[in-house]
Parts: sequence; structure tokens; C-alpha cells
Amino acid sequence: MEPIIAVEHLSKSFKKRLAVNDLSFSIAEGEVYGFLGQNGAGKSTTMRMLLGLIFPDKGAIFIRGQRFDNSKRHLLRSIGAIIERPDMYGYLSGWDNLKIFATLTDPNTPDARLHEVLEVVGLNGRENDKFSAYSQGMKQRLGIAVAMVNKPDLLILDEPTNGLDPQGIAEIRNLIRSLSKDHGKTILISSHLLHEMELIASSMLVLHRGKKIADGKVNDLLNPAQTLVEFAIQDTTIIMDQLLHSAWASTLDQHAADALVFKLHPDRIPLLNAWIVEQGGRVKGIRSKHSLEDYFLSITHD
Amino acid sequence: MIRTFAILLCAVFFCNASFAGGDANQLYEALRKKIFQVKDYQALVEMKIEVNYMRIPQLTGKLYFKSPDKMRLERTGGLSILPKKNINLTLSNLIPSGQVVVMDAGYAMLNGKKVRVMKIVPELDAGDIVLTKMWIDEESLLAMRTETTTRNDGTVIMEMQYAAYAQYALPDRVTIFMDLKDYKLPKGVTLDYNQSADLKPKKKTENQKGNIQIKYLKYEINKGLSDAVFNQKN
Amino acid sequence: MIKLLWFELYKIFRRPRTYISFGIVTAITSVIQLAMLSDGESFVNFAMQGINEQFEIQGRIMNGYLIGYIILQSLLIHIPLLVALVAGDSLAGEANLGTLRLILTRPISRHQLILVKFISSFIYTTLLIIWLAVCALFFSLWLFGTGDMINLKSDAFILILKDDLMWRYGAAFLFAMLAMTTIASLAIFLSAFADNAIGPIISTMGVVVVLTILSNLELPLFNLVKPYLFTTHMIGWKGFFDDPVPYEAIRRSCFVLVAYTIGFLGMTMLYFNKKDIRS
Repeated sequence: MEPIIAVEHLSKSFKKRLAVNDLSFSIAEGEVYGFLGQNGAGKSTTMRMLLGLIFPDKGAIFIRGQRFDNSKRHLLRSIGAIIERPDMYGYLSGWDNLKIFATLTDPNTPDARLHEVLEVVGLNGRENDKFSAYSQGMKQRLGIAVAMVNKPDLLILDEPTNGLDPQGIAEIRNLIRSLSKDHGKTILISSHLLHEMELIASSMLVLHRGKKIADGKVNDLLNPAQTLVEFAIQDTTIIMDQLLHSAWASTLDQHAADALVFKLHPDRIPLLNAWIVEQGGRVKGIRSKHSLEDYFLSITHD
Repeated sequence: MIRTFAILLCAVFFCNASFAGGDANQLYEALRKKIFQVKDYQALVEMKIEVNYMRIPQLTGKLYFKSPDKMRLERTGGLSILPKKNINLTLSNLIPSGQVVVMDAGYAMLNGKKVRVMKIVPELDAGDIVLTKMWIDEESLLAMRTETTTRNDGTVIMEMQYAAYAQYALPDRVTIFMDLKDYKLPKGVTLDYNQSADLKPKKKTENQKGNIQIKYLKYEINKGLSDAVFNQKN
Repeated sequence: MIKLLWFELYKIFRRPRTYISFGIVTAITSVIQLAMLSDGESFVNFAMQGINEQFEIQGRIMNGYLIGYIILQSLLIHIPLLVALVAGDSLAGEANLGTLRLILTRPISRHQLILVKFISSFIYTTLLIIWLAVCALFFSLWLFGTGDMINLKSDAFILILKDDLMWRYGAAFLFAMLAMTTIASLAIFLSAFADNAIGPIISTMGVVVVLTILSNLELPLFNLVKPYLFTTHMIGWKGFFDDPVPYEAIRRSCFVLVAYTIGFLGMTMLYFNKKDIRS
């Protein structure tokens, strides 16, 4: 199936700082795709490029197979977005704000549709309050209402839980899940919290200093059974033949003359070690490579 | 000595001249009588002021006059512009009041017509008028031109054309030529829009000539104008 | 586009700040009118010294038309500020508020957005000038009555008859609209560079003040550039109170102002179309 978004070798720098570096990824329809990275990792810049707010220096963006910069206005009709904070006109009511932004996409948006989205985001009855009087959570919900009011296929939500209390975070999380599950939206969401991604996203891309460091299904990326374990062995050829005919063969990820890398659960390391020794292998050392979570935590703490 | 001789010579010359075509004093007195038979008038006028620094469209209004020196231009709701009081717009004001010495200056041609020229000097030194020179059509007994030298306002020249009201010595058209001071305001105050032709520097002149042309359309003479007319504000 | 414009105007006129300009115009005109009511006579006499020495002017010199002219002359520097308050805020204010990125994620082109900002600023400017006309002219006529108007230039005394004035005021206000639209386009241009409205508002005023000084300095060096400065032409409305009206000069001024307006608008579009929205 054609991906809804395909990004190829996207790069952007501001003055001398490289904000996004040769980034490629694709998002399948119906996915909740997470951008994970600390502040300044390039999440917002990438999202802004996907929306035409920032112009890439290099690379290309395709949405439903169409090059974005060639049919920007047409493609934006099917995208709803909140970038960073859902800032709106404080002196206008929630209804007025929603109406203005809905009309910018479709001048004929019926009022019934506005009521409908207000119902979905739980703001019915508060629509006549001034936006400046809304709590942070209400502002985020109105932002989501603005993003989804024109029934877009794709929602791009940049840190939608930022600044919310735990209850607010849970509400927004449930709302996003429901938008994906019940309304069939494809959602690109960013966060600097891995836990958040784990709970919402089905696929994920980890960005660090503008560069992709991992991407794939969340379950795969966070599965302990996928831990990379490196065995330093004096001469791997001694055991190679037996290994390839054993049950451990499926866990072998890479091999070299003096090292073998397995993808397995850390609990199984002693068993594998015993087996290698049994086969005559001379193990010089065992190194378990970081899991994604460890890796992510390490980069967010530097 | 030379000065006294010159004055005597002048006096002899003027006396001789006055006998050339009738008594100048009599002519002057007859003219003066004719002029002063008008005690007051009101007239519909069209007035055009031509002064280098003034741009004023033709003004229409009602000109009131009461002897000896009251004058007012009434323009309902509009502004009236007249020269200062001592340069009045009527002949009666340009003839010195009180006793005068009339000196005959012979004949001259004015606009193709032979006219009698005489000079009138007030006997007393008190008034503003120092000397009035008049060009008089003896036949119709009308002053066609006057040149009045004043103490404070330079020389005022008046040229008159007569028609329907000649019997009252009231002209139909008067052109008054006068000396004026230059006018200037700082550009920083006026913030002019100087995009037009007047960007070109003008010649600096201390004094300028100006003229006022008045066309009298209809007179109402000696109806007994009250003084109150002259105290009204437009 | 119409809907977009409608919402732009809705935003402008729902914002309390917008009405400050109308309040300021009302306040300034009222203050001048009060001052003229109490002490206008001596003000006029002072200005007319040179004329009064030689001519006697009778009638209502201090009439509504003259007061209107005096007010327009005094507001020369204030109205651009009031126009800049709204036009300078048009893009930078949205950037500051964070709404610019939300607007631009909608399917509207940046050209369209600039055009809507320009048209809405023009409409605001027009309304402000109309309000100025009501306060400066019609209130003055009501307070001081009608009459012929005296216009004192540095080297000329001009009298305009009362029946000949209304069309001149109409033309002058139309010209003022054009001049203020040029200011609005300058403010929008500067607004495109900033993420905060204060900068473009102050910069617009700075440009207007500096260029106005250059336009009025009587130095040969500046005479070369003067005809090309838009501030030299902004006072073209005064031409309608001259006699004869310098139509050729006014046409030239209109051309310069329109050229500047289109220039500022074009440069705004060129720049803004390539601008990364990072606010």
C-alpha cells in the first residue's frame, strides 16, 4: 500500500546549525506515528516542513504520492495540524476561533460540523467562552478540534500533551487513540517522552540532533527480546557450522571473524554462553548493546 | 536761494497754465461738488484682487459707502478683503479734505482722450494725503485717473471708467494700483506642498505692486444708509 | 478570498486595540477644536500678521473649513502612527500570537494572505480617514460654521470660496487615503520581517519621521533625492487647497505613492513567500 507520507533525504539548517539531517521515513495509512526526541532534536522542524511552514534545503516530501511542494494547497486540505502550542485569538470565543480556522479550509463548513467536533473534544457548552479564559487542556482540545474540523485524513500534532496535568494528558491521549481507532485518522504525533509514545504510537521514529537514530514498530523497538548481545569469540569459524544448524540460528543478527551479534532477550545470555563454550568456542567477552529505551534515556540525559 | 527761485518759477508756470483753458480751481470745485453730492451708496460689485502673493478668486458682494470715509464689503457668509482704511476705494477718499491748493498741470492724453491734469495739495499738514494728481475729462466733468501720494501707504493710483452713473461721478469700473510690502512665512510653519511650478526661486523684492479691479453692477444712491450697516460683522 | 477578508476584518474590529486609533483621532481633533474655540482668534491674527498690515479681512475667518485644514495639518504625523498600529501588527502580530503558523497550515497561499492583510489594512485606513473627515471637517463645520477658507503658504495667501471647498476636501481625503495606504504597505512590509508588532510599528514611524525631515530640509544635497521620497508626496492633499490646483504635481505624487505601495507589497510577497515560519 502507498504510504500516506514519504520523506526522502530531508535536510534543513538554520544558519550553521543543522536542524534536520538527511531524514527519510514513511508513514502508512491509519498509523499513529510518533516522532520521539528531546527538545531541539528536529521534530517540530520536520513537522513544519511537512506543512510547508519551513522550506527544506534538500530532499523531498510526498503525500499520497504527490510531491508536496508542487500541490501544497491541495494537499493541505487533507491535513489538520497543531504545531507547538495551539495559539489562537484570545479576544475571540472558542466558537469564533474554530469557525475562522474551519472556514480557511472550507468556507462552507456547516455549524453542525463545529458542534460535532466540539462534542468529540469535550468542549460543548464552553464554546462561547473567550479563548483567553480557557485552561491549557481546553486550549489543547480546541486545537485538536481545529485540526480535525475539516475531516482531514492526516493529523499532525506537535507535542499535544505539553503543559498538561496528568488528567489532561490522559484525556488527550484517549482522544488521539479514539481519533485513530474510531475515526480512522492517520496521526503523526511528536513527544519527548518515550512512555507517551509507547502508549499512543504504533510506529515511531527517534530523532537526535536532526538525525534518525531508529525507526520501526513501537513493539519491535521496545521489545527486550530484540536486545542486541555481542559475543567476542577468538575464532568464530570453529562454531559457525554448528550454530547455523542449531536453534540459536534465528537469533543471529551479525557475524564477523571475532564476534557474533545475537538479537535475544537478556535472560537467555547464560544459556547461549554455555552452548558456545560447549561447542568449543572461546568466549572473550559478552556485551549487551543498549535497548532503545536505554539509548533514548542516555541521549536525553547528555 | 536756488530752491526759492525754483518754487517761484513753478508757481508762475502753474499760474500761467491754469489760465490756459479755464480756471483749474473752478473745475476742481465743480468736480468736487459732483463727487460729494453722493452721501452714500450701496452697490453690487465684482472685485478682483491681483497681488503677486495673493491668489483670490473674483469676489462678488455688496459694497456700502457712506461719506466721508465709511466703507464695507458685504459677502454673506464669506470673507471680505479690502485694503486698509486709509487706502479707500472711492474717489472721495482720495481727494484731500479741507482747504487745498489746486495747481494746473496742463493737458495730457489718456486712453486717446485729451484730459486736464491738476495737482491738489492740502493746505494743512495733518492728513495722510500729501498730494493728489487728477486727470479730468472737462467735457463730462469726471476724474478719469488719480494718483495719490500718502504719508504711510505709498502711492495709490486709481483709473475709472464711467457709464450709467456718470452724473453722480460714480464709476462702473475702477482699477486701483498700489504699493505693497512683500509677504513671507517660514516654510517650517506652513509645511508647503512645493511640487508645482512655484518650486522655482522667486525674485526677492522688498515692495510689490498690486491692483484691485472693481466692477460696479448696480448702485443705490443716497438712500440714507445707517451707520449700523458698517458695524455689522459679516 | 472574500471569506478570508471578512474574517480578517472581523478580527481587526473585534480587537479593542483597533478602536484606540479612532479614540485618538477624536481626542486630538476635539483638543484642537477646543483650543480654537477659546484662543483661535489670536492664533489666526498671529499667522495673518503680514496680511493684516495691508488688508482688512472681515468675516468668519475661523470657520469649520479653516479649522478642518489646521487639524489635517497637525495630524500629518499622527495618522501614519495610527495606521502603522494596525498594519504593522498584521503579520508580526499573528507571528507573535502564534496564529500565523496555524493560518499557514490551512490551504491558503501566502500571496493571498498578504493581499488580504493589505486590503484589510486599506479598509481600516479608509475608515480611519472617514472618521477623521467626520471629526475634523464635519464637527468643525458644526461648531464653527461655514465660510471662505484662507490658506497661508510660505509665499502665498490663498482664499478659497466656500462653495468651492467641499470637493477639495473630498479630493484631499481621497489623496490622504492613498498616502496612508502607502504607509500601511510599508508597515506590512516591515511586519513580514518581525515576530513582534512593536518593531515594525516603531520602524515605520522611524522611516516616516526621518524621511519627512529629509523632505523638509532646504539643503541642495537633499533636493536631489526629495522627489523620490514618498514623504515628499504624502502632503499632496494640500495641493487641492492651492489656486490653481497643481494637478500635474498631484498626479506625479499619486504615481510615486502608488509605485511605492506596489513596491512595498511586491517586496513583502517576495520575502514572505520564502520565509520560514519558526514563530
